[in-house]
Amino acid sequence: MIVRIKAFARFREIIGSENTLDLDEGTPVLGALKNLSAGSKDFRDACFDREGTIASHVVLMINGKRISGRDRESMVLHDGDELAIFPPVAGG
Amino acid sequence: MLSCDELERYHRQIMLFGEAGQEKLKSARVVIAGAGGLGCPVATYLAVAGVGHLRIIDHDTVDRSNLNRQILHWDMDTGRAKTESAGKKLQAINPDIEIEEARVRINEETAPGLVRDTDAIVDAMDNYPTRYLLNHLACKFGIPLFHGAIRGFDGQVTTIIPGRTACLSCIFPKAPPKEIFPVIGVTAGIIGLIQANEVIKYLLGTGELLENRLLIWDGLHSILEEINVERDQSCIECSQLQSDPMEKVK
Ligand SMILES: [Zn+2]
Repeated sequence: MIVRIKAFARFREIIGSENTLDLDEGTPVLGALKNLSAGSKDFRDACFDREGTIASHVVLMINGKRISGRDRESMVLHDGDELAIFPPVAGG
Repeated sequence: MLSCDELERYHRQIMLFGEAGQEKLKSARVVIAGAGGLGCPVATYLAVAGVGHLRIIDHDTVDRSNLNRQILHWDMDTGRAKTESAGKKLQAINPDIEIEEARVRINEETAPGLVRDTDAIVDAMDNYPTRYLLNHLACKFGIPLFHGAIRGFDGQVTTIIPGRTACLSCIFPKAPPKEIFPVIGVTAGIIGLIQANEVIKYLLGTGELLENRLLIWDGLHSILEEINVERDQSCIECSQLQSDPMEKVK
């Protein structure tokens, strides 16, 4: 299945604005982001915490709808889905 | 009543929203939390627009490394309190408004007294713990919070109306890690001016605010995008809020 990754801010600097991933049917959000990490240490460092879970501050959306809570990593992606990843910025 | 000087000073914008609109700006009290990258452009443009009372909060002094973006602080100001440096320039830009310099650190003790008597809180901070504190008080007192944040060429901005829109904790339940962030002054200018524009519209009661809309600016590609956000029914700060403070005012 094909999943589009829409990256914002720092994530966009690292992997570009739009990526498509060819993933196995039933791949969860975590799997898709691990897939991106495999190709980029910078992405892994920005997206994951030391324990290997998706950093808690990273905002995730599937098809424009926010996903949150503890189970967001295990939410299953479907063919044609767009997974958006946004790291809030903090400076002023 | 507007003076002759004021009618002349604000002529071009009175053409937009009338003397009644200008009176609304004049009678408004706005607190700007932070006199840094965001606070400088926000304060400058609210001052020239004639917002009657600006309270500028910052405990810091001007450092040479601030000067690439904090446009109210000039080379001669290094070492001076940011509130004093900003206050002097703002008063010179517009002598008809009141500038209040609050050189204090924003914490749980000081913050309530700094924000509770104001019409709008501008988040021009550089860290999330203080932002969450401002958000907490905005929700508690029913005062709108104008959020902005920047990093590098990237920025984000939204308007929080407690009880009606997602609050900061709904949108960002967890703070990003602390860092010494890279930044270019134009990013602070762009995001700060969107915040100032929101404040002005809110005070005038005109246009459409960034309610439940997080605007995301990508300066490297010159792209402005929008993410829809919504209230979190279990939010620790705002889930109890039912009433709409803007309705109460009307
Ligand atoms: Zn909330």
